[in-house]
Amino acid sequence: MSHPTPLAWLAVVIAALAFGACLLLAMSGGGRVDIPWIPSLGIRFELEFDGLAAMYALLATGIGVAVFTYGAGYLPIHLHHAHRPRDDDRRFWPWMLLFMAAMVVLACAQDLIVLFVAFDLTAVASYFLIGFDRERRDARGAAMMALLVTVTTAVLMLIGAVLLSVEHGTSSIPTLIDVAEAGPVTTLATLLIAVAALAKSAQVPLHFWLPRAMEAPTPVSAYLHSAAMVAAGVLVIGRIHPLLALEPMVLDGLLVIGVCSIVIGGLLSLAQDELKQVLAYSTVSQYGYVVVLYGLGGPVAAGAAAFYVIAHAIAKSALFMTAGTVILATDETRLSRLGGLVRPMPLLAAASGAAAMALAALPLTIGFFKDELFFAAATERGPLTGIVAVLAAALTLAYIGRFWLRLFAGPLGIEPHAVPRLLVVPILVLGVLGIAGGIVVEPFARLAEAAASVTYGAPVAIHPAYHLDTRPENLMALAAWLVGAIILVAAPIRQPIVTRVAVLGGRLGPRRWYGALLQGLSRLSDAIHGEEVRDLRRSVAAVLVPTGVLIGIGFLATPSAWDYRIGDIGREDLPVVVLLGLGVGAALTVTRDPGRLRPVLALSVLGFALAAVYAVMAAPDVALVAVLVEAVYTLVFVAVFAVLPLSQRAAASAAHTARRRRDLAAGVIAGIGAFITIWAALSREPSQRGDALELIRLTPQAHGSDVVTVILADFRGLDTMVEITVLAVAVVGATSLLRRGRSW
Amino acid sequence: MTLIYALAAGALFGIGAYLVMRRDLLRVVLGVVVISQAATLTLMASALGFGAAPIYPLPSGAISDPLSQAMALTSVVIGLATTALLLVLVLRVVDVFRSQGLDEVAEDEVAQEATLDAEHALGHEDEEAAAR
Amino acid sequence: MSSIIGVVAPRLLGPALILAAAIIVKGYADVGDGFSAGVIVATALALRYVSLGWELAERSLPVLRRAPQVATAGLLIALATGFAGPLVGDPPFTHYPRAGESVIHIGTLELITAVVFDLGLFLFVTAAFVVLIHHLARLAQGGPR
Repeated sequence: MSHPTPLAWLAVVIAALAFGACLLLAMSGGGRVDIPWIPSLGIRFELEFDGLAAMYALLATGIGVAVFTYGAGYLPIHLHHAHRPRDDDRRFWPWMLLFMAAMVVLACAQDLIVLFVAFDLTAVASYFLIGFDRERRDARGAAMMALLVTVTTAVLMLIGAVLLSVEHGTSSIPTLIDVAEAGPVTTLATLLIAVAALAKSAQVPLHFWLPRAMEAPTPVSAYLHSAAMVAAGVLVIGRIHPLLALEPMVLDGLLVIGVCSIVIGGLLSLAQDELKQVLAYSTVSQYGYVVVLYGLGGPVAAGAAAFYVIAHAIAKSALFMTAGTVILATDETRLSRLGGLVRPMPLLAAASGAAAMALAALPLTIGFFKDELFFAAATERGPLTGIVAVLAAALTLAYIGRFWLRLFAGPLGIEPHAVPRLLVVPILVLGVLGIAGGIVVEPFARLAEAAASVTYGAPVAIHPAYHLDTRPENLMALAAWLVGAIILVAAPIRQPIVTRVAVLGGRLGPRRWYGALLQGLSRLSDAIHGEEVRDLRRSVAAVLVPTGVLIGIGFLATPSAWDYRIGDIGREDLPVVVLLGLGVGAALTVTRDPGRLRPVLALSVLGFALAAVYAVMAAPDVALVAVLVEAVYTLVFVAVFAVLPLSQRAAASAAHTARRRRDLAAGVIAGIGAFITIWAALSREPSQRGDALELIRLTPQAHGSDVVTVILADFRGLDTMVEITVLAVAVVGATSLLRRGRSW
Repeated sequence: MTLIYALAAGALFGIGAYLVMRRDLLRVVLGVVVISQAATLTLMASALGFGAAPIYPLPSGAISDPLSQAMALTSVVIGLATTALLLVLVLRVVDVFRSQGLDEVAEDEVAQEATLDAEHALGHEDEEAAAR
Repeated sequence: MSSIIGVVAPRLLGPALILAAAIIVKGYADVGDGFSAGVIVATALALRYVSLGWELAERSLPVLRRAPQVATAGLLIALATGFAGPLVGDPPFTHYPRAGESVIHIGTLELITAVVFDLGLFLFVTAAFVVLIHHLARLAQGGPR
């Protein structure tokens, strides 16, 4: 039951190879790809494996290897529990791999449009991963919510990218950083991009999709919500930070949002009972730190932010996987029911203990340095941010301590059953990594330095180390541990407060607003849809009226549209005038005749009259086809209408007359509108005349004499191809309507 | 001539629009045909030059614009394709609802939808789940 | 009137085919193209359907039953000639042989891609119309479902 499938191993191998490749690239000093993509818009497919790219790509692939290995063991059990076939994991691994690939491309992207595409690709992959349990409505809803929040905000990013490239003539990020200067358009554009990034990183007030996304299978949560999806947001901020830094107000905004996320995420994390919810809110809070650091600006903060992302990714993915293993082993998702797992699961307790210590910034773990750097950056700004930093660290210690202690300490809650080793080993590896980083910090610090240099735009040096003295960082760490321990043990006072915050947030929080907005939009669209499709007349009106309005706006916007010409009418035009009069007259009788056959015949009079007009207009090809088509029309209409049954129900005549009058008015208005538009269009002087002459000149070279035929079959063959495609679609549609899809 | 062509095309469009709004499905189809005739006429009238047919050997003097003729041909064919599809659609509707009056069809449809809604609550399950 | 149609319709096919062939061969030099040729043949066939009824029409001319395949073949021929260019690195609907190169003649017919495209167009249009007429006729005239 728990043997991984070959597909899972393949995914692990691919991730490992990708990690190896990234490592090689990082050590050899990177590389770049730069090929024209949309030359007409100056958009290049520009990737560079610079410091920032190296860090995020290594995280995405490295954590990827650990999580994929874990998932290889997890997914068969998950599918078994859900009574789904084992090979349903083919709906899983391709998306995971796509996600990883999109993350790597996103990390390397040097062009805003490439960045946007990769950003959206991660959102699409996340939709399918979060909604993996697609038979569960909550999972589908969670997937939809994540998609809506991250993709609608991603559109803002696209708008920002377009604004920037229009303003500065390039969408290449390094060039933009060189040329951009502070200005309202640049500020607006960077703000829009920042909003998209913050929503992706689940920052307040757009954080609510993340806890909801915990519906996903645990490997997805462990991957997306530690090192990948949420990291994509801060990655974008790190990438365009010099642009954001042009306007200090933007950075201050980041600071405020980051602090709000730390506090709200931390408090809500303490209020949760579900394991994965605790971790989800903790992720909101932790990425708040990174956003605060980016908001502080400067080399120290940039270095601290990069280092923070590394340490957090390692620790948080291990903790998510711990939660998954515990849930699988005990079939229980609530902290309050669990406890004392240290005796039955000592290895897991140790591994996740290391990870928890790392997240809580205890010494001898990589996490100690992340807080050391954080404190250093915060005190540099001023005492207020210093105090906030200490409180934030205390909150982290409290909620992570609560999580680990509730799981592993105390009396045994539920006796766990055995779990496969694959569900523990990756956690162990990450836990060891967290400890190793606390002893040999150099490699991680170099990685963070290289990334921070890109963010800051100049070389950055960070020196995380243990100092046994009373420097501010150490004192702040001590204070944070003390306050954190107090919050941790003061459960009787703490719990009512955080519960009340959670209830208040549920009642007034952004998720409620979002829900109301979505339901309102859904209702509005239903109403419009209902109005439009209820009746064919309304469907027609739904096309014609907006078209008319748009054309009217077009008239107002083009002053020269009012320049009408009557054109010369000579003696030789007389036949055309007569024939057109005949055709229109015949068409008019169609409107008045209640019968069947006569309207059809009147219509064919119109058709043949027009064909004659085309013949007089020296267009023999058009005239020929018009005659032929008219013959077909007449034949088919007569044949079909002869067999149509007559309407059985009689219409109320008073309502009928009123409606007829309304239709008449609408028809007259439509006719006048069309007349004015066509007249205006025909009156305009063409801007160039050469095309037709060129076509006529080239015709002998195409071995033809009839220019129109040569145009159709040769010069503009693609048009004809499209035309017969329309015909083919119509035939297929007609066939499937008549014979339910059988072609004969 | 500009004015004459515009008048004719506008009149045809108006007649077509009126027919499309009629309650008889037959007339709706005829209306679409008339509208596509108006489109073809407009395309023909938008030629940049009128003269002899653009067929070699070319006479001296003005030549008619071949490009607008090619486009008019395309529009005729596409009009034919859409009309064919529309006609079949009408036949199906008549077959299913035993009526060619739009109002009756709409009434039947409303009734049918109501029974469907009553049978199993249709809606936007996922969207609602996403809104919670 | 129906007796006139009954006499004329079956005999119209031959002239229609000859006319269509003439249009395709001459099409490049004179008025008409694959589409008009196709519609001419299709009209003649439609008259057969009207006069004979669909069952008899198809029994007397079994090739009509192959219309869906013919339509697909025509579409594929048109597609292939149109998009042969991109396969060898030229733009779509490139004219082969190129301007100035020598052309194979079969009588007055010049063998160039545009003519092949036109032929595909003719096959497709004729067969597509036959498919439509067949279904409409079945619906209108009834018969075994």
